[in-house]
Amino acid sequence: MEQSVGKMASGSTNPATEAPAKLELRNISKWFGPVGDGVHAVDDCSIEVKKGEFIVVVGPSGCGKSTLMTVGAGLENPTQGEVLVDGKPAGSPGPTRSVVFQKFALFPSETVEQNIKFGLQMTGVSAAEQEARLVEQLKIMGLELFRKSYPSELSGGMQQRVAIARALVMQPEILLMDEPFGALDAQTRTILQEEVQRLHREKHYTVLFITHSVEEAVYLGDRVVVMTKRPGRIKRVIDLPRDVIWKTGDIELAAEHPEFIEFRREIWGLVREEIVSI
Amino acid sequence: MGQSRTLQVAAGLGAILAWIIIWAWLTRPGGPVPTLYFPAPDDVWAKFVRMWQRPYIGSTLPNHILASLYIVLTGWGLAALVGIPLGIAMAWWKKLKWIVFPTFQLIRPVPPLAWIPLTILWLGIGDSARISVVFIAALVPWLMNSMLAVYSVDRLLLDAAKTLGANDRQILARVVCRTALPTLVAAARMALGNAWSTLVAAEILAATAGLGYVAVNASQLLDTDVLLVAMFMIGILGICMTGLIGLTQNWLAPWSVLGARRD
Repeated sequence: MEQSVGKMASGSTNPATEAPAKLELRNISKWFGPVGDGVHAVDDCSIEVKKGEFIVVVGPSGCGKSTLMTVGAGLENPTQGEVLVDGKPAGSPGPTRSVVFQKFALFPSETVEQNIKFGLQMTGVSAAEQEARLVEQLKIMGLELFRKSYPSELSGGMQQRVAIARALVMQPEILLMDEPFGALDAQTRTILQEEVQRLHREKHYTVLFITHSVEEAVYLGDRVVVMTKRPGRIKRVIDLPRDVIWKTGDIELAAEHPEFIEFRREIWGLVREEIVSI
Repeated sequence: MGQSRTLQVAAGLGAILAWIIIWAWLTRPGGPVPTLYFPAPDDVWAKFVRMWQRPYIGSTLPNHILASLYIVLTGWGLAALVGIPLGIAMAWWKKLKWIVFPTFQLIRPVPPLAWIPLTILWLGIGDSARISVVFIAALVPWLMNSMLAVYSVDRLLLDAAKTLGANDRQILARVVCRTALPTLVAAARMALGNAWSTLVAAEILAATAGLGYVAVNASQLLDTDVLLVAMFMIGILGICMTGLIGLTQNWLAPWSVLGARRD
């Protein structure tokens, strides 16, 4: 494996500026079924995610934002366009681009420990290294007590923590998150949003994050990409302030900050246009 | 919950007891049912005890039971060896399914018992003929359910495994086969049910021992009490074996049992 973002020294001031594009979706179009006759999910979308950047894609339901993620992960081939990692064709899916799915996608037959170790075992990481990384992730995600539990014994929030740990343990260069908190209750969602925010601040993960929640986008994103209704195109890209104090605290507090409110209003206005025009 | 379960078991046992009482009443001396056609429960029990110790048509009851179990378990096991890998492979490699499945569909509607004349022609009237009939009966559920087991694995898990760096072979071995285990346990149960139910017919093929053989002979000799003993044993053993398979799910696929308990 290449040097991962997770291992990068967190001392560097702002890795997002001046950095090259880590993940690039270039002119992606996706048709399901025959072109011109099937479903046109995504139309000519280009997104650049720079190293250490947290990009949030937001849009009305069914706008193809999840399709964009699936294509970005290499799980689907685009009808047109290409996916590049460090400027080179990204190829088939793999641990360079870890994915967190909305429905967790944990292996039901495996314990928390086995789920988290899964990718390490698939890629031939030594047993000692597996154990070390597992213990680290269990600690980061607060899962130490659930090491031997099966997913079916855990709440939705805990399951998603396992899924995040399973993705992070691979020390991915890019983290793709597809509405990861969409299936969780409001309280759990808040807690996990704050944890993801903290992880990003501390470890400078490169993240492409899909959501339909404008609050989530404003709170987490360095940049927010607003998509149109289907076929999904890029409607607007909005740069958010990065090193501001309200992003370092609770989302509840952030939501009261005038700057947050202003961005939320702007982005929600854009999303709303797409919803009402359907 | 524990209380209603106890109640449920009590109700079931009570009903069985009630049937035995009605049976005893109907077959009492001078009762409406002649014992030649339907012997009283105590006669059947006495015959059962006697058969356990003394041979009936060549073997004691335990040996008849072993003979039947040997035929059924061998046929069932061989069917598993063929059905599970073939079923999984057909679900995994679409092209294999294109080739094999139509043939299989053609053969499937032929009842296992309809194979008996052909197996006699090919294999004579020994164990192998009986085993093959049981094998055919068990193969269909093994194969079909192994295939369905693979189809029932959530596609999302395959995607997740791919993004974690698993190749196709690793996904098949670690994700598909393991996730499919509970369905395979169900397949085992159905296959055994099918195998067991063809037993009597298979043992009509001039067996020298076995519960079906006992039943057929008892019928011809008007030993109705022996016939009932054989039938009870076939029923009880069937229950025991499916129960045992159910228990294997606890250690083969503990997670699935946990999930079920929660619902």
